[in-house]
This record gives sequence, C-alpha cells and structure tokens, in this order.
Amino acid sequence: MHLSKREFLAASAVLALAAGLRSANAATAINYWHHFASQSEMAGLAKIIQLFAAANPDISVTQESIPNSEYMAKVSSAVVAGGRPDTGMVIAERFADLTAMGALVDISEHVNTWQGKANLPDNRWTGMSNEGAIYAVPAYAFVDWMYYRKDYFDEAGISAPPKTFDEFLSVCRKLTDPSKNRYAFGMRGGAGGFKYVIDVMEAFGSPLVKDGQAAIDKPAAIEAITFYADLFRKEKVAPPSTPNDSYRQIMEGFRTGQTAMIWHHTGSLIEISAALKPGEQFATAPMPAGPKAHIARVAYAGNGIFKEDNVEAAWKWISFWGETDAAIALLEATGYFPASTAALKDQRITGNPIYAAATQTLEFGRLPNSFVGAAGWSENVVNPTFQAVLTGQLTPEQAVDRMIEGLEAALR
Amino acid sequence: MFKSNRSRRLAADILTYVVLCTLAAFCLGPMVWMFLTSLKPEADIVTSQMQYIPTHITFENYVAIWTQSNFPVLITNSLIVTTVTVAICVVTGTLAAYAFSRLVFRGRNNIMLGYLLIRMFPAVMMIIPLYVMMRTVGLVDSRFGLALAYTSFLLPLFVWMLKGFFDAAPKELESAARIDGSTRLGAMVRIVLPLARNGLVASSVFIAIAAWNEFIFALMLTTGQGSRTWPVGLQLMVGEFQLPWGVLAAGGILSILPVMLLFAVVQRAMVQGLTAGAIKG
Amino acid sequence: MRRVSMTSNSRRHPFSSLGEISETRYWVYLLLLPSLLLLFLVVAYPTIYGFVISVREMRLTRPGLNGWVGMKHYISMMSDRVFWISLKNTAIWVAAAVMIEMTLGFIAAVALNRNLPGTRLFGVLILLPYFLPNVVAGHMWALLLDPRLGVINDILVRLGFLSSYKAWFADPNTALAATILVEAWHGFPFFALLFLAGLKGIPEDLYKAAAVDGAGSFTKFKLITVPMLKTVITAAVILRVISLVNSPDLLLVLTGGGPGNSTQVLSLYAFQTAYRDFNFGYAGALSVVMFFILMVFATIYIRLSRITKE
Repeated sequence: MHLSKREFLAASAVLALAAGLRSANAATAINYWHHFASQSEMAGLAKIIQLFAAANPDISVTQESIPNSEYMAKVSSAVVAGGRPDTGMVIAERFADLTAMGALVDISEHVNTWQGKANLPDNRWTGMSNEGAIYAVPAYAFVDWMYYRKDYFDEAGISAPPKTFDEFLSVCRKLTDPSKNRYAFGMRGGAGGFKYVIDVMEAFGSPLVKDGQAAIDKPAAIEAITFYADLFRKEKVAPPSTPNDSYRQIMEGFRTGQTAMIWHHTGSLIEISAALKPGEQFATAPMPAGPKAHIARVAYAGNGIFKEDNVEAAWKWISFWGETDAAIALLEATGYFPASTAALKDQRITGNPIYAAATQTLEFGRLPNSFVGAAGWSENVVNPTFQAVLTGQLTPEQAVDRMIEGLEAALR
Repeated sequence: MFKSNRSRRLAADILTYVVLCTLAAFCLGPMVWMFLTSLKPEADIVTSQMQYIPTHITFENYVAIWTQSNFPVLITNSLIVTTVTVAICVVTGTLAAYAFSRLVFRGRNNIMLGYLLIRMFPAVMMIIPLYVMMRTVGLVDSRFGLALAYTSFLLPLFVWMLKGFFDAAPKELESAARIDGSTRLGAMVRIVLPLARNGLVASSVFIAIAAWNEFIFALMLTTGQGSRTWPVGLQLMVGEFQLPWGVLAAGGILSILPVMLLFAVVQRAMVQGLTAGAIKG
Repeated sequence: MRRVSMTSNSRRHPFSSLGEISETRYWVYLLLLPSLLLLFLVVAYPTIYGFVISVREMRLTRPGLNGWVGMKHYISMMSDRVFWISLKNTAIWVAAAVMIEMTLGFIAAVALNRNLPGTRLFGVLILLPYFLPNVVAGHMWALLLDPRLGVINDILVRLGFLSSYKAWFADPNTALAATILVEAWHGFPFFALLFLAGLKGIPEDLYKAAAVDGAGSFTKFKLITVPMLKTVITAAVILRVISLVNSPDLLLVLTGGGPGNSTQVLSLYAFQTAYRDFNFGYAGALSVVMFFILMVFATIYIRLSRITKE
C-alpha cells in the first residue's frame, strides 16, 4: 500500500513460487477448518483423519480448529480478504449465508458420480443445495428432541412424556416447585434461544418466509409468543434466570436437577449421559406437537470445499466423511447421529433405546429454515425481542411487529 | 483531632492496611475461586451443592489443558509476539514521547491528538483491511505480523503514557546539564530517561500485558498452530456443546503465572529505579 | 530498563554525531519519524478502508447490492432503535466503569505509595485482575454470578441479603450494573499501576519543601500530587475510555447484549452487524460514528484539562 507496486509484485511472486515448489514436491496438502472443540469431538476427528490417511496416502490433511462463535467471522473475512481454507465444516444454519457470500464451491458433478450418494437420501442433500446445485456433503445430523428427568416424572406420577403443547403445559405445572428450586422447563432465553421461538411460531401455524418474502402470520405468531413467553412470565415454570440462559445454563440447570425438561438435540447426549444415568434418571422423547404443526428440526451438518485450488483432493476428504467408516468413527466418539442411512442401521443406533426418539423424529422432522440473512435476523432481532417479552419490556404484539420489521429488512 | 504526629501516623497506617486488605480481597476473591475451581472435577463444579473446599482434589484439568491445547507452542508464540511488540514500542515510542514532552514545535498538539486518533477506530473494522495488507506482504500467520498489528494500537498508548511520566520528571536537572554543555541527546539519555525509568517500566508492562492478553487480532490474523497465541488457544477449549469450567479455570491460572512472574521481577526494578533516581537527584 | 542503563554508560561515542544533529531543528522530526512512519504504514489503509465502506453497501450475503450509497447508512442509523439504545448504554457503561476504576485505582495507588511493610505483596495482589485475559475474566465472572453455580449468590443467600439465587444477567435492571462491576474489577488495576508510577515520579523534595512551609497533608495533596499527576490522569482516562468504547469482548462473553438489548453497546452492535449480519457497510458507518464521538470527546476533554499547554 505504501510500498511501491513493484515491491509488492516481487514479494508476492516469491511467495507464489515458494508455494508452488512445495506442492510440487510433496503429497497434496489440504487444510480443513472446523469448530470441533471438546475432547470427544477431537477424538472423532483424529480417528477420521487417521482412517482417511490410510485410504489416501497421497493426501495430507491439516486440521485447524476455530472457536465456534467466531467461525463465521473467520470465514467471512477469509472470503473478503483472501486466505480461504481448502475445505471446511458447514452446518445447516450457516449454509444459506455461506453460499450467498460465495464461500462454497459447487460440487454437484462430483456428487452425482459418487457411489456413496446412494447412502444419503434426497432430504440429506436439500439442506446442502441451493438452486439445484450441491455445495456440501452431509456427514452427521443434529436431531431435535426433548430430554426429561424420568425420576421426576415417576415421582410426580406422570406416566409418559407430553405429546402436545397442552400436555406439556399441564406437565409443567405439576413439575414446578419453586420452594424446592425446581422448575419444569429449562427454557433457552439467552443466546441461541431464537431457535425454539421460531419452532413454536411454526407449531402455531406461522411460517417465516415464502418465496423469498417475509410471511409471518401475525395472529398465529402472537399466539405462539404469548404461549411460549407465558411459560416464564405467567406460569413461572421456567427458572428466573431464563432471559440470559443459553446452552450452557440450560444444560447445567438440567444436570444439577433444577429443571425437569429441556429441548435440545442429539449433540448434547454425551454430556448429559456423563452426568445423569440414561434410562433411570433421564430419558428422551420427541418434541411435543403444537396446535397446528409438529415441529422438530433435523439439521444436517457436513463439509464443503472453500476454494478451487485442490478440488480433487478436497473432494476426497469431504466425501470421506459421508462414508460409513467415518460416520461410525464419529458416532463412536461423539454420539453424533450419522447422516448416512448405512450407518443408521448400525447396532449402536438401533440397539440403544435412547436413540428411538431421534429415529422417530427423522420421519417427521423438518430442516431448519434456510434463507439468506436467517442467522443475523435470528440472533440480532428474534433473540433480543423475545428476551424483551420475557422481561416485560415488550408485549407479544410489539415483539411480533419488530420481528416482521426486522425480517423484511433482512430480506430486502 | 490527633494528639501527636505519631498517633496520626499510626491511624493513617492502619487505614492504609484496611484499604489494602479490602482491595486485595476484592481482587483476590475471584482468583481464589478460580484456583479452587481448577482443582475440582467437573461433577463437583456443576452441582446443586455448593462446594467451598474441593472434596476431591484433582489435577486432571491442568493435564487436560496441557495435552489438549498444545500449551508450550502457544506460550512460546505469545512470548515472542509480546516481546517483539514491546521492543518496537519501546524503541520508537520513547523517542516520540520525549519529543512531545520536552520539545516545542509547530503542530505538536495536533500530532499528539493524531496518535490518539489512530487508537480510536474500532478494531472490529480494522481486521479485514489489515488482513489484506498482511497477506500482500506475506505476514499473515506470522508472529512478526501480529506484533505489528498490536503496535498499531499499543504504540499510541505507550507514547501517551510515557509522555505523562516524562512530564512528571523535573526539568531543572536537564536544564542544568544543558548549561554544562551536554547536547540534547546527551541530556535525554543521561538525565531524562533514568528519571522516568519507572514510568518507562510501567508503560512497558502495560503494553506487555495488553499484547499477552489480546484476542481478536490474534484470532483473525492467524490460523495455523505455528503462530497462534495463548488466549486463542484458551478460547478453543470452549466448544459449541461444552464449557469446561475446570479446564478454563486451570487455563486462567496458567495464563497469569508468567505475567505475575514478570511483574514480580519488574516491580523490584521499579522500586530500585525510584531510589536510584532520588540519589542522583 | 536495561536499555536505559546501557545507553547511559557506554554508548556516548557512537552517538556524538547524533548529538550534533540533536542540536538542530531536524531533531524533533528524527524523534518522531520512526513511530509516525510505523503507525502510518499499519493504520492508514485500514482506517481509510473503514471510512470508504461506510458510504458503500457491502453485504457479503447479497453481493448484488454492492455499490456506492452515500449517506444512506448514516440516515438509517438515525431511525435505528438499537443504535440509540447502544449509544445510551455505551455512555453509561463507559462513564460508570471509568469513574469507579479511577476512584479505586487512585485509592490503591495512594495506599501502595505509602511504602509500608508488605506493600510489595499487596501491589502484586491488587494488580492480579488486570493480568487475566478478557475472555477468561468474562467466563470466571459468569461462573461467580451464575444463577445456579454462582458462589456470590450462595454467599449472599447465606448472609441473608438474598432469599434465593439471583440471575444478575437476566434482569434488565441489574444486567448493566453487573457487567460494570466485572469491568471495574478487571480494569481498575490499570489506573492503580499508572497512578502509582506517577506518584513515585514525584520527587520527595517537593513534599519536604512543602512541609517546611507548614503545609498539611491535604494541601500537599492538592498543590503537589494532583498537579504533578495531571497529565498521567488525563492520559489514563482518555486511553481507558477509548479502549472501553472499542472493545466488545467482555460483554460478548457475559450477556451478548441481552436481555433485550439492555446491555447492547456500540462496539458489540458493530461487531454483530459485521459478523452475524455480514453487513459491513453499516458496521463501517457505526464505526465511523464511534470514531467521531471519541474524537469529539478527546478534543473537549484535552481542552478542558489543558495538558498540552505548558
């Protein structure tokens, strides 16, 4: 910039030359960005890399972990400023934004000639496609379900988990006893809470977006927000800390026995199993059904190619994740539900009663809403607005107005 | 109110200790809790029964952070980045601070404000253009590049702080030296710098701590393990589905140890610098 | 420190020609050149870039819209509810935090400067919080004040101040105050260390002379301590204000701006606009506004405290 142009060119030429020499001599090296962090996730990843290296000795994979909360910041600045990785992890919620900013390479051709495609039915690909082109290979899935304290249910004489919102509410009333610091529902009002706000809205019959236009049905949405917020505001079946409770807090509430039910997905099974006894202290159930629709998300996560330089090697790596060996390795380490149907038939899934609720959910579960700007709108508008309803700063009517206003702005 | 000087002094001493103890408790309380947390297994942290004294003392959190985070490499990187940053700031910043404090020239106030202005543009928006520049000159993922980026906001801090200390150093000695035939350079090196020595140390300590703890730039300008710094490695412990309190606490303890060590050494120097200055004076 | 002692003893000869230059009028430019050049090289382009994108549309997820939009972002900011809330919160957050930190820092520095036995140990203890990275400090306080696992809640309940654990960050009435407390804890050693170094720089002789003239402690404080520390105080306040206005880390960890924007500040809003909405143009405009607010503040403050005049 303040050096002369010639100096720049010289410097970049030297760098390019060095890079070229390196790749000519060695096996193809690709790097991989992901946001795995826990010990179990890292163990799963290490195993997959090991299996991949055995199958493809000519390709070496360098993994680089990035804190999940900063993953998109890092990817987006790599898109703007350069320095993209060869491959990277793509979760359903981020897919629309990633394709819109042109971060992903179209891999339709590779996918269509890939024999592993047979193990991944069409609905796996829907969340990884945009306008007919495929951009990522699904590897695992997060299936929404409900965790509940079986011992608390037994104690209160409740025989089965609630199947509808009405049942849910009445169970909630039975299980709450503030004097014992016990609340029925660990509601997520803090970061990430938007997910369930949107789910409840859809369960009450309000869509979000149709044909690229904001399509929130105002009366239905108001009804939904009122019902959901009242669990905290009026019924008081959620703990007082709800407005700032995010993933960590709802998990800790559940693990310490403060709450009897939480909504989350299969990804947290290992953590909960480490603290509570499966089948005795806690069990899992499908999400309860709303008055208009039964909503539970099945979010596929996979891997995409971020730049064209080493497409062939990159393709081998990301498609390897969709194969049965890799999926089982990940399942063993982390308990993450495989995307591949071949892996789903594995004894570890079919033989474990805890997974029954997830297998059931796969039949009716929906993909998360995917439109450009969804993540920003959800986090920057839905979350604070819903928090404001919880804390009494806004009425449900005002909140819905703001959500519609924000959604229109996001789609414009 | 007080009968004699002695009883007044005693009262002041007692008050001083009361103040110091209160402040120390305020500062130390959370630290002690962090230390205790780092010795507990996860099940004793996430529990409805508050545990003040750990019943099952464990070092598994320290082991975990050591094995999971590639600790030695991260610490080395942090040390190098911090040292380079401090070196650049001390060499270039001391000169500038001296000029601002002792020399009168046109536009001095504006240039000083200019140094501050540089610090005012939010780091959030500097990241992308900075990354573009670093890439062009091949400094992305390098410890030197990161140190340069730190300089952009730490150098103004250093200059402003140090100018304050230079201002506080009496000017009479310098004038005397000048009258004795010393050049401006000689007066600066032999008189002013030793006088402001403790200020120089204090300012450097700030720069060092800030560079040691910096997170956003380190995260955005580095990717590979080769140049990643310790705070970024620490944040990596926090996953999407986990926040391991014990490990994080252990990381916190580990991250203040080197800084404490440095400070213990430097604090002695600060006191010595002061007394030396007084003798010379 | 080492550098200082080396130069003062041994480097006289190589410096003799420099010594001559130091007598000319170019001397001052030579002193300023290295730092100015360095800063200019690193900062000029990023700053210009920030200004430029603030008058452009730059939404990563809608590349089709990119182009010049003039003052559009600034105009829409005027009717942006979140912007005004953030502005208000930023003012409260920064003002309260700086005042608390400065007071605590000053008290600590004066106490430490009395050089009583054991002061050295207290010095290290009091500075400990500042040594902790923001990220760790944020997480640790989240644990201390946690509505389920928080030891502070437990202590307050045991002492009878609370009837049950309180969710400090979930109540809009306490969330901002709680984050200010955390910031004050983490930031006051900054002032303590600076003030202490400043106090140590004041020659004992001045106090002795004043004592001979019969001045009491308060008079000495007013006539010697405060004026001698003035530049240090001014610099510390300005630098702290700037870094508080610009850094979203702590709030990002503690509340993410919630509940319902009640702890949303400008830096966090800009960060979220850029990296969650990918709306870099608007985030750039927010940054420019922050920049100007800081600039106006700094100019007025420096005028008022008159430190640049002799």
